[in-house]
Amino acid sequence: MKKTVVSLVISVLILAALILWALEGGVSNDIREILMMAGVVLLVGFGLFIGIGRARSLRRKEPPEDEMSKNVMNRAASLSYYISLYMWLLVLLLSDRINMPVNSLIGSGILGMAVIFLFCWIGVRVFVMKHD
Amino acid sequence: MTNRIRELRARHGLSQLELAQKVGVRRETIVFLEKGKYNPSLRLAHDIASLFGLSIEEVFFFEERQEPENIE
Repeated sequence: MKKTVVSLVISVLILAALILWALEGGVSNDIREILMMAGVVLLVGFGLFIGIGRARSLRRKEPPEDEMSKNVMNRAASLSYYISLYMWLLVLLLSDRINMPVNSLIGSGILGMAVIFLFCWIGVRVFVMKHD
Repeated sequence: MTNRIRELRARHGLSQLELAQKVGVRRETIVFLEKGKYNPSLRLAHDIASLFGLSIEEVFFFEERQEPENIE
């Protein structure tokens, strides 16, 4: 129950912050900002999907987590960690060529890790579990 | 691995949700099991087979798998 509420509250807060930021004129035509915004929207959608799924399970009196959902999470986490190492390596290699403040670079990297996790989670559910 | 969960569930008049609640998993897991997209743990396979009063081998089957030679 606690996890469900936390994931829903965090998703709604991030979405609210994003909307406020956009309304305050924070959105520019910079491709990097648009990509970051798209990444955040994707992650909020993922958070809401997980939170709503858990809430629905609780309402149906099912466990919010079971062996399959834990298995998917564990596999996605290990796969995304592995891929993220290569992403950071790429960021290190490109850091000299990209004109970007270090804070923004680290922020983008962290956002990138989260997006990689999201794609790994989808990939594991769709392709990997079937071939166990 | 294939299984007879859908057939057995229909025979016993259980919905996916009811079966999920009886074996303590989410309905989604039953959906994935029936489609052959997820191989259950030994514990879950045992629980499902026990619920239908059958052995694990009568519910779950391996496809194109060579049986290991008998040790004796």
